[in-house]
Amino acid sequence: MRAARTADRLRPRVRLVGGALLVGTGLGLLGGGAVAALLSVRVVRTVFAVGALALGFGLLGWSGSIMAGRGIETMHRYMDTGSNWTEASSRRAMARVGAAGAGVMLGSGLVDAVLLG
Amino acid sequence: MVSKRFVLKRLLLLVPVLFGVATFVFAILQLAPGDPARVIVGQRASADQVAQVRSELGLDDPILVQYGRFLVDAVQFDFGDSYQISKGTPVREVLADRLPVTIELALYGQAIGILLGVPLGVLSAVKQDTLTDHATRIGALTGLSVPIYWSGPLLILLFATYLGLFPTSGRIGSTTFLPDHWTLLGVELPLTGMVTVDTLLLGDLGAWFSAVHHLFLPAVTIGVYSMALISRMMRSSMLEVVRQDYMRTARAKGQGAKITVMKHGFRNALIPVVTVIGIQFGSLLGGAVLTETVFGIGGIGTMLVAAIGATDYPLVQGAVLTFALLFTLVNLGVDITYSYLDPRIQQ
Amino acid sequence: MAPEPADTAGRTTRRSALDSLRASPFLSQLRSNRLALFGIGIILGMVLVALYARFVYDFGALADSRLGGAVPSRAPPSWAGGTARTGAFGTDAAARDIFRRTLYGAWLALKFGTITVAASTALGVSLGIVAAYYGDATDNVIMRTMDVLLAFPSLLLALALVAIFGAGLWKAVIALTLVYTPRFARVVRGAALKVLEDEYIDATVALGATDPRVLVRHVLPNSLAPITVQSTLNFGLAIIDIAALSFLGFGAQAGTPSWGLMLARGVENGLFTGKWWMSFFPGLFLALTVLGFNLLGDGMRDALDPRMRDTVD
Repeated sequence: MRAARTADRLRPRVRLVGGALLVGTGLGLLGGGAVAALLSVRVVRTVFAVGALALGFGLLGWSGSIMAGRGIETMHRYMDTGSNWTEASSRRAMARVGAAGAGVMLGSGLVDAVLLG
Repeated sequence: MVSKRFVLKRLLLLVPVLFGVATFVFAILQLAPGDPARVIVGQRASADQVAQVRSELGLDDPILVQYGRFLVDAVQFDFGDSYQISKGTPVREVLADRLPVTIELALYGQAIGILLGVPLGVLSAVKQDTLTDHATRIGALTGLSVPIYWSGPLLILLFATYLGLFPTSGRIGSTTFLPDHWTLLGVELPLTGMVTVDTLLLGDLGAWFSAVHHLFLPAVTIGVYSMALISRMMRSSMLEVVRQDYMRTARAKGQGAKITVMKHGFRNALIPVVTVIGIQFGSLLGGAVLTETVFGIGGIGTMLVAAIGATDYPLVQGAVLTFALLFTLVNLGVDITYSYLDPRIQQ
Repeated sequence: MAPEPADTAGRTTRRSALDSLRASPFLSQLRSNRLALFGIGIILGMVLVALYARFVYDFGALADSRLGGAVPSRAPPSWAGGTARTGAFGTDAAARDIFRRTLYGAWLALKFGTITVAASTALGVSLGIVAAYYGDATDNVIMRTMDVLLAFPSLLLALALVAIFGAGLWKAVIALTLVYTPRFARVVRGAALKVLEDEYIDATVALGATDPRVLVRHVLPNSLAPITVQSTLNFGLAIIDIAALSFLGFGAQAGTPSWGLMLARGVENGLFTGKWWMSFFPGLFLALTVLGFNLLGDGMRDALDPRMRDTVD
C-alpha cells in the first residue's frame, strides 16, 4: 500500500528527469558527433562543458529553490508582488535543466571516449 | 521551535549544492582559454614538456574520467596545488589561510549594515513623507550609487592619510605577532584566523584594539552599502505590513492606531528583510572582493582576483567553491532564523 | 497605462501607443517628482560632457604617457597648489591631465553602459516574450533559469564569466549583458502576461490578428514603460559594474581613460601619499552619473502604473 503510493509519487518525477535526460543524451550524441566530425575532437569537450554548466546550474537551482523557496514565497506574499514564483515549479524546471545537462554530458562524453579510445 | 529534523534536512541540501558547484567549476576550467599544462610549465617550455605535464595531470584521459576524478577530489576540497600565486602550495591550505579574513570582514560589514539599516528603515517608515524620511531615502539611494571602490579610498584619504585616526591598510599592527595556538585549561587549541577573535582568545587587549582599529574602515565601507539596501527594504516592508494591518485595526480601534500597528507589525515586516539579507549576502561577498582590494587585505577576494589574472585555475576553482559554500551556509542560517520568526513555515 | 477600448484595439499603431503614453499619468507624475528631474539634469549634463570630450579630445593623447614633457606627474589641481599646466583636476602618475581623462571617461561609461543595457534588454525582451507567449514548460524552464541567475551576485557571476572569456572591455560588456538579461526577461514576461490577460487582446485575436502581430503591436508597446524603468535602474548598475571590472583589472586596457581604471591607478599611486585628486574626480563623476540614473529610475518606478510596478525590480 505504502510502496504503491511512493511509486505513484515517484513516477512523474522519474518521467520528468528521465525524459530530459534522454533528450539531453540525444543532443549530446548528435552535437558531440557533429562537432567532432566538422571541427575537431577537442571541441567535443566544449559540448561536454556546456552540459556540465547546465547540470551544475540545475543542481544549484534545485537545492536553492528548496532552501530559499519558502522564504521567497513568503516574501512575495508579504510584499504582495503578485509574483507567481513557487518552490514546486522552480524545482521542476531546475530538475529538467539539470537532467538535460547530465544527458548532454553523457552523450558527448561517450563520443569523446569512443574517439579517444 | 526549530526541529532537528528540519535543520538536518537543510544540511543534507549541501550535498547537491557542493555537487552542483563542483560541476560548474569543472565546466569553467574546460571552457577557459589556454592549456593548464602550458600555464604550469610556462611559455618557454618545449612541446614535449607540455605533453608530459598534460599526461601527468590526466588531461589526455576521456572527459568523463576526468570529470569523475575531479568530483572525487572536489568533495575532499582537494584542487591540487596552486599553479602561480602560491606556487606549489595546496589550494586547501591557501584557502584555509584566507577564508577567516574574508569571513571576518563580511560579518562585521553585515553587522554594521543590519544594525544601522533596520532602525533607519523603521524610522523612515514611521516618519513617512516627512523630512526625515526623505533624507533617509536620498541617503540610502546615494549610498547605493557610490561604489565601494570610491567610498573606500575616500575614507582612507580622509580618516587615515589626512587625519591619521585609522591605519591605511593591513589587519593588525606590524609589531604584533600572534602565536598559532591558544591555551585553555592547559590544552592547546588552534586559533580561528580572525584577528578580532584570536586576540581576545589570547587575552591580549592591546592587540585586540589594534585589530578592531584596522578593521573599522573596511567594515564601514562594506557596511554602508549593505545598510542602504537593508534600510530601503525595511522601509517598504514596514509600510506594506502597516497598509495591510492598519486597515483592519484602524477600523476596529479608530484613529491613532498607526504607531501601535507598527509596533506589532515589526516582527512581520522583518520576515522579508531577513530573506533579503540572505540573498544579498552574495553581493556582500562581491563587495568584499572590492573592499579587500582597496584596503590591501589578503582574503579570498584579493586571491580570486589575482588567480583569475594569472589563470591559476586550481585557486579559482577553490575560491568559487568556497564562496558558494559560504553563501549557502548563510542562507541556511537565514532559513533557520526565519522559522523562528514565522513558525508556520516549518511544516 | 489604461487598456484601450476594444473597438480601436485592432487598429492600434505605434503612434497611438505613444500618444496614450503621453496622455498617461506616467509623464505628468514624473514631471512633478523633483528628484527625478534632478536625475535627468545630471544625466543630460553627463551626456553633454561625454559628447564634448568625444569630439574635442584626442583619445591617443589621453591614453599615452606624457612623462618627460613640461607637465609634472602626480601634480595637484591648479587651484590646490598646482600650476596652470596641471589642469583643474591635477595630473596622474604618467603626467596625464586628469580633467580631460575624467571627461572622456563619461563618454566611455555612457557608451559601454548603453551597449550593455541595450544588449541585455534585447535578449531579455525576447526571452520574456517567448516565455509569456508559449507558457507551460517553456515558460517554466526559461523563467526559473532566469530566477536562479538572478540569485547569483552580479559582480561574482561577472568575475566567473571573465575567468572564462578573458579580460577586456568588450568581454566585460558581454559578461554583464548575460548577468543582466534575467532582470529584463522577468519584467517583460510580467508585463506581457498582464497585457495578454487583458480582454482587449482577446478581442484583437477574435478580429483575426495573428500571433506575431499581437506580440509586436500590443505586448511590446504596452511593456514599454516597465522596460524603460528597468533599463534606467540597470544603467547605473551597469556603469558601476563595468567600472568595477576595470578597477579589478579585467576591463579596460592599461592607459584607457575609463573611470574604473583611473580609480585603480589612483588607489595604487595616490592613496597613502595623500594625492587625493587621482581617485577623487573620476569617482565623483562615476557616482554622480550613477546617482542620476538611480534618481530617475526610482522616480519612474513610483510614477509607473501600480499594476506594472510590481514587475520592476
